[in-house]
Amino acid sequence: MEELIRIDRLTKVYERGEVLAVNDISFTVKRGEFLVLIGLSGSGKSTLLRCINRLIEPTAGQIVFDGIDVTKASARQLRQLRRRMAMIFQQFNLVKRSSVLTNVLSGRLGYVNPGASAIHKFPKEDLESAFANLERVGIPEQAYKRADELSGGQQQRVGIARALMQRPDLLMADEPVSALDPATAHSVMQYLEQMNQEDGVTVIASLHFLSLARRYGTRILALKDGEIVFEGLPAEIDAAKFKEIYGEEAEEVEVR
Amino acid sequence: MTPQDQYYAGFMSKRPSWTKALRAYRKDLGALIADFVVLIALWGLSSFIWNDLVHGTRDFISVAPWIMLVVCFELALVWESFAVSPGMRLFGRRATDDRNGRAVIGRRFLRVLLLHGLPLFILPILVTTRYIPWQDRLAGFRSVSAAEVPDPRKPWYRTSWMVALAGLAVAMYLASALFTQVDLVKLFTNASATSEIWARIVNPDWSILGLGVRLLIVTLFMAFMATLFGVLVAVPLSFLAARNLAHGIIGRTIYTVLRILMSIVRSIQPFIWAIIFVVWVRTGNAPFAGGLALFVHSVADLTKLYSERLESIDPGPVEAIRSTGANGLQVILYGIVPQIINPYLSFTIYRWDINVRMATIIGLVGGGGIGQRLLQLTRNWVWDQAIVLMLLIMVAVWAMDYSSSRLRERLN
Ligand SMILES: Nc1ncnc2c1ncn2[C@@H]1O[C@H](COP(=O)(O)OP(=O)(O)OP(=O)(O)O)[C@@H](O)[C@H]1O
Ligand SMILES: [Mg+2]
Repeated sequence: MEELIRIDRLTKVYERGEVLAVNDISFTVKRGEFLVLIGLSGSGKSTLLRCINRLIEPTAGQIVFDGIDVTKASARQLRQLRRRMAMIFQQFNLVKRSSVLTNVLSGRLGYVNPGASAIHKFPKEDLESAFANLERVGIPEQAYKRADELSGGQQQRVGIARALMQRPDLLMADEPVSALDPATAHSVMQYLEQMNQEDGVTVIASLHFLSLARRYGTRILALKDGEIVFEGLPAEIDAAKFKEIYGEEAEEVEVR
Repeated sequence: MTPQDQYYAGFMSKRPSWTKALRAYRKDLGALIADFVVLIALWGLSSFIWNDLVHGTRDFISVAPWIMLVVCFELALVWESFAVSPGMRLFGRRATDDRNGRAVIGRRFLRVLLLHGLPLFILPILVTTRYIPWQDRLAGFRSVSAAEVPDPRKPWYRTSWMVALAGLAVAMYLASALFTQVDLVKLFTNASATSEIWARIVNPDWSILGLGVRLLIVTLFMAFMATLFGVLVAVPLSFLAARNLAHGIIGRTIYTVLRILMSIVRSIQPFIWAIIFVVWVRTGNAPFAGGLALFVHSVADLTKLYSERLESIDPGPVEAIRSTGANGLQVILYGIVPQIINPYLSFTIYRWDINVRMATIIGLVGGGGIGQRLLQLTRNWVWDQAIVLMLLIMVAVWAMDYSSSRLRERLN
């Protein structure tokens, strides 16, 4: 399979507090993969994901996305790259006071005419695909509600619809289901799986539960203190590996 | 313990039930008495200053004492129903609406009227413990402990127009004290000298109404322009003065400089700015100087309020919009503006309200508008016309205050 992302000796140091959040990490992601990042809280998963689309500026190292060096991209190139890398978040990060429809349409902001978007004018086909995507995530009737009127699971679906609007090559999901109950978590994960399998979107998702990682991931990358401590297939994580990643005292919990 | 002992123990430890109610209510009575005293003191002080300045006489009361007592009592009732009076602050009481939390103006008037039955409502306290005074019940009002209601207002002594008034009064008095000798005896003996003022005041000369309304419009326009241009300047400045949006060395420097500058400008009262601008622009066009003063102070005040609001936005949506490939303007319009639009509107209305009040005061230092004419009229002893202007100002300020608080309620 063709490689989509190559990360080479990536390092991020937060100047405030001198935290070494990501420490000299290298790996590649192939097109069509469903890569799961696991690791304890503070191990650097969020930082790593945000370095890929440069929401956080890496301190050192190189990120190559589809042959383009992200770390050297100009502001304009970066915006064009970000269109192809959608992101969904643990806290959903919807604009709460805006309507669901506006939130979904904002996924097109990188594509549309900036002047037209300033007066909230979107092309007709964008509107149509917004409704189509809301339909796809199962909440077409919520389009005109305010985003904060929705339940957590519904909000994350809006987040997914927003990501779908970008027609991305890559979807990054930072703990997309941590704020949801187990049943809702699975239904949200299934949308990600569907995007991965039907639309061929490469997915990188950080997850807290190993059971979810095993169920949805095609490959797993485990971080500890900003370094990769495991890289391999879900089935390869045995009891010993588990203790190495999560520490001696940890017990595995299941999410079904 | 014998039944006899129990009886006595109970008798000694348990107070009669009505004392409980009286205790619950005594704070409100205390507040009323305190306000009454405060108002009498204010009356004495202001009529002394007034008579000293205007007539060179010394007089604390100026009218028959019973009139003063009645007026002070009425004012205390009004004050307690419409605002948070000093007595209420002293005893930690607040008046709150019983029914739906809205401060309906009609109910406040009703409460003032009903409070006149003061002697009557002592009676029911004696028979029932869970007693709500009947005038409060009828008016849909409740007097509660201050801790139970959030108080978004600044204390009265910190609102800028009060500071301005107090500063002006003290300054004028000190100045006059330098030229006139203080004679406390006259304060008591020469009350009748003011009778002419009162005689004229109760006989308003309505012929000035047309001019008054025109001057009022000039004043309101001055406040409006100051607010409008203030907003136009303060909105962009607020983005530069928000810590969370200041990136890099240049951004941080601009942020720091702006914040320091704005807090200096803000700490200088608008009426002082008016004095500065009256001297500065010297156009003979006084409303221009007054408007500039309000504009400068509005910019500083709004920039601070706006940027503080910006600093408390949720960074999550901003990050999400950035991650879609949106440009800077789109991030602001889609990620930030929806989060700040209502608070910004609310601050703007608040500022417009302040500017209307200030615009009338600024006239007193030569800033033009209705205030300046009022000063001239009082100097020239044309009280029957001055009272018309005073009434106009009262109506305008009251209308602004009321409508702006209603509007802001809607927004929140
Ligand atoms: N803005 C920041 N400034 C300074 N230090 C930070 C900042 N953000 C994160 N860190 C630190 O970097 C390290 C990695 O944080 P990160 O959020 O990437 O971990 P994570 O694996 O996503 O954790 P979680 O599972 O809790 O989300 C932590 O030690 C954290 O304290
Ligand atoms: Mg995280």
